[in-house]
Amino acid sequence: MDLKGVLLLKRRITILFLLVFAGVTVLTGRLFFIQIIRAGYYQQIAEDQRLRDIPLQPGRGIIFDRNHRPLAMSFNTDCIYAIPAQVREVKETAKTVAGILNMPEKRVYNLLTRNLSFVWLKMKATPEEAELIRQARLPGIKVIPRAQRFYPQRELAAQVLGFVGIDNQGLEGLEQYYDRHLRGVPGSQQAEFDSRGQSIPLGERRYIPPQDGSSIVLTIDERIQHIAERELEKAVLEEGAKRGAIIVMDPMNGEILAMASYPGFDPNNYQEYPSALWRNWPVTDQYEPGSTFKILTAAAALEEGIVRRNSEFFDPGYIMVDKTRLSCWRAGGHGRQTFLEATENSCNPVFATLALRLGKEKFYSYLEAFGFGARSGIDFPGEGRGIVPPPARVKNVELATFGFGQGISVTPLQLIQALSVIANGGYLLQPRLVREVRTPDGKVVEKYEKKVIRRVISQETAEETALLLESVVKHGSGNRAQIPGYRVAGKTGTAQKPVGGAYGTERVASFLGFSPVENPRVAALVILDEPQGPVKYGGVIAAPVFAAVVRDTLYYLGVPPETSQEQSTGPQGRAREETTLRSVPNLLRLTREEARRILTRTNLSWRELGEGDYVMEQNPKAGAMVPPGTKILLYYNEKAKYNVKSEPLVLVPDLTGLSVERAGKVLQEMGLKMAPHGSGLAVKQVPAAGTRLSPGMTVNVYFLEAGM
Amino acid sequence: MWDRRLLRNLDYQLLLIVALLVAIGLLTVYSATRSNIALDYGDPSFFLKKQLASVVLGVLGMAFVIFFDYRLSDLAAHLIYLINLGLLTLVLFFGSEVSGAKAWLNFGVFSLQPAELSKLFLILTLAKFLSEKDINTPKRLGLAFLHLLPPLALILLQPDFGTAMVFVFFFFVMLFMAGLKIRYFIWILVVVLILAAAMGIAHFVFDVPLPIKDYQINRLLVFIDPGRDPAGAGWSVRQAVIAVGSGRFFGKGLFQNTQGQLGFLPEKHTDFIFGVFCEEWGFFGAFILLGLYFFLIWRSLRIAQQAKEKYGALVAVGVMAVFLVHVLENIGMNMQIMPVTGIPLPFISYGGSAMTVNLIFIGLLESIWVRRQKILF
Repeated sequence: MDLKGVLLLKRRITILFLLVFAGVTVLTGRLFFIQIIRAGYYQQIAEDQRLRDIPLQPGRGIIFDRNHRPLAMSFNTDCIYAIPAQVREVKETAKTVAGILNMPEKRVYNLLTRNLSFVWLKMKATPEEAELIRQARLPGIKVIPRAQRFYPQRELAAQVLGFVGIDNQGLEGLEQYYDRHLRGVPGSQQAEFDSRGQSIPLGERRYIPPQDGSSIVLTIDERIQHIAERELEKAVLEEGAKRGAIIVMDPMNGEILAMASYPGFDPNNYQEYPSALWRNWPVTDQYEPGSTFKILTAAAALEEGIVRRNSEFFDPGYIMVDKTRLSCWRAGGHGRQTFLEATENSCNPVFATLALRLGKEKFYSYLEAFGFGARSGIDFPGEGRGIVPPPARVKNVELATFGFGQGISVTPLQLIQALSVIANGGYLLQPRLVREVRTPDGKVVEKYEKKVIRRVISQETAEETALLLESVVKHGSGNRAQIPGYRVAGKTGTAQKPVGGAYGTERVASFLGFSPVENPRVAALVILDEPQGPVKYGGVIAAPVFAAVVRDTLYYLGVPPETSQEQSTGPQGRAREETTLRSVPNLLRLTREEARRILTRTNLSWRELGEGDYVMEQNPKAGAMVPPGTKILLYYNEKAKYNVKSEPLVLVPDLTGLSVERAGKVLQEMGLKMAPHGSGLAVKQVPAAGTRLSPGMTVNVYFLEAGM
Repeated sequence: MWDRRLLRNLDYQLLLIVALLVAIGLLTVYSATRSNIALDYGDPSFFLKKQLASVVLGVLGMAFVIFFDYRLSDLAAHLIYLINLGLLTLVLFFGSEVSGAKAWLNFGVFSLQPAELSKLFLILTLAKFLSEKDINTPKRLGLAFLHLLPPLALILLQPDFGTAMVFVFFFFVMLFMAGLKIRYFIWILVVVLILAAAMGIAHFVFDVPLPIKDYQINRLLVFIDPGRDPAGAGWSVRQAVIAVGSGRFFGKGLFQNTQGQLGFLPEKHTDFIFGVFCEEWGFFGAFILLGLYFFLIWRSLRIAQQAKEKYGALVAVGVMAVFLVHVLENIGMNMQIMPVTGIPLPFISYGGSAMTVNLIFIGLLESIWVRRQKILF
């Protein structure tokens, strides 16, 4: 090479070197920018995309009855889910999974081919199913435990307890009202994920444990609740009533011992029941109380001194108020009677008179004092307040009808709250369903004590009213509420149901009372809505239910019976020696024959429920002291014990000849649904008339145009 | 041919640099693959072992070119040129297709990437051509382009735009080194611009398809606007930058490349291995790595300068240009200052053909160095 060429070469190499230097400098600068100046930013992104917090579900608190028997609890069940993107050999997988889970193969296949990142295949799988799925090791098919709410007593107090949703959040009832306490605080676990969203088993982790929810202890006693539900179901079914309710309360402190409504539902499978059955209507709904409301009129009149027990009245069978004739329930009237007798007779004109004598202002002040027209403040969601018409619109006629419980609406809860005023010596108490909130390890964090809202009437008036009510049971319309060995005070009620402004033929039969009179332990209200039997009087159909519930409750609570003279002079006219109490023998695991023999020998009667060879449960329990002749309920299987019966069946009516609109209405009233086909008049229906269906089921009705 | 003095005159500093780069490469390939993709083959060091085999092969090739000469007879040059075209043609017919390109010739136990070998062959034949006569005539320049065109076209048919770009780069660097006057460069630039404009007009007016594929247009658009298509074409670049950045100053340490191990960073043992390295060793490691490359390239230039004749200088500069363009492009795309093309990082990225050829390149440099002018016998 010549010198010139060499020099050119050297110059060009120098230029190349400078280019290289520039390139490397740019790279270094960029490196410095990314790795030093913006390093924090990129590190954050790197962590964000691989570290995620997985929420950890806390255990939901337990709901106990007052004796710490669990009514709602949580436990883990295995749930099976799929990540469709990870499933290989979808057909094969679907077949295997369908086989294990006992599901239609096509359904599983459809789930696995959904364009979702995640699908549930089965909630609440059995341990065997979960184990088989685990063993199958199918890619994309996984098992995780999930806390599942479980109501061991199924229908028992279902409307009171409510239920929880899929994420264990309280949706209804106490589950909702106390959700704040029950739900706990979710924890979290930080886990490392790869780019496909799979958790890395040994990745970085930060663990914040979940805090389990607190437990609540109810005022409800499972046994009393059970008694109430048993008697209520029996009564509703026997009387063909649309529904029924029983509230049992401790009148001295406002604690609800039982709150039953029938028909009910199983909160473990609440979705399978119409939502109307979920409602705890003794708290939420209002109705016209009828004669049970006379308790308020009587107490107010006695307190104001405008009447005494032996004040004399004359009932011609009606009363004229501002030219309106208000009839007594008894045609021809009760004639000449004392106030005591008028109460026993539940004489409407007398109570109308008292309301008028009290005057609107006084009457309203007592309504308010007894808690009507306002929420009691019970710890339950959706409480009703009843309907008290505004005073401005109330004339004498209305006031008079209020006196015997018409034209005014109350919740069942308000009614028993008002009765408790009479039982406890004049105090309006706030009714309560929960006694305590406890941490998972049993420490009491909140305790709800007896809460007096106000004094309503004097001790004397309360006692005087109680005596009147005792007389109702002893000699008057409430005599079927008598409980041998105990003094009972109470009032019957047979309210007409208002239908669009007028009163129809449907009735609400009720009985409201407490016992023992001298030292009240139990107050109870029994309501049978729209009974269909031949007799619809509360005194006839509700009072015996009251007697059964209160009697069994008193036995259960161990309240000693009185052995005074008075019992033997009761209408049943039992001989005194027969009232000697005896202890109920233990009959568990005995055969029908053996149980009957023993009961015959101990002079007790029985009622057998359920199919089966051995006594699985008895009520009252062994050791309870009962008078001779008491019926002992013998349950021969578990099903009978829980009174399991989802809903009363309804008879499908004959719809032939009805228009589409009319047929729909008829079915709707019966709680059935209609699937109409065609138009015109009904010619055919499936299922046929007379078939028994559960409410909520569908009847196919075929219509044809007339003339075709 | 064998001479003890050859060994004494070797550029040991260059060898040391290369040894360090190869060691870093092997370690990083192992780190990037050991925990997952290598396990698909049932052996955490599967990729490491394959890469090691290529290193052995490459060292043998390197020794061969050091001890035999780098200079070619006319016959040898023609033969090499024909073999080059032959291999590139073969791969079009018998190559196995990987991610859209027919780039590999499969020989059972190993597979060959003719495009890698083609760099070596083209540098040798081009250097021979350019060293023969003065380039500064339109005829010679045209012949130089004709020399480039057949292998370039075959590469584009695969299609392998990354390698094609490398070809063009070292072609121009070698023209520059061959003493092509600046005005010719300007003419070339003008012609290229006119051609590009014509192509653009043909595409938009007459709807003639552009000779590049949609995904390549997409890569370019993503480079211009990184926010575009973050889950698709923009994904790998974004993940690479996150990997580089999250390494911070000292890195997360060996085997701590979460970006790669958790599957966020694709091609983590090949195109984006720089991201893995940076995540583990931080700015500290990356700066040293850049230093090593700088030293390698500087050494290549120094060898070109000291070459006994123009041919040697041109070969050395061609080799230097290959290293330079690979480093700038690969590291640049890992840091989002270059568009994404699939070209590997020399001595670091996994890839047998590239490793072997790169080591043979080093052999060429050493071969030129030991036969430099000032060699004292």
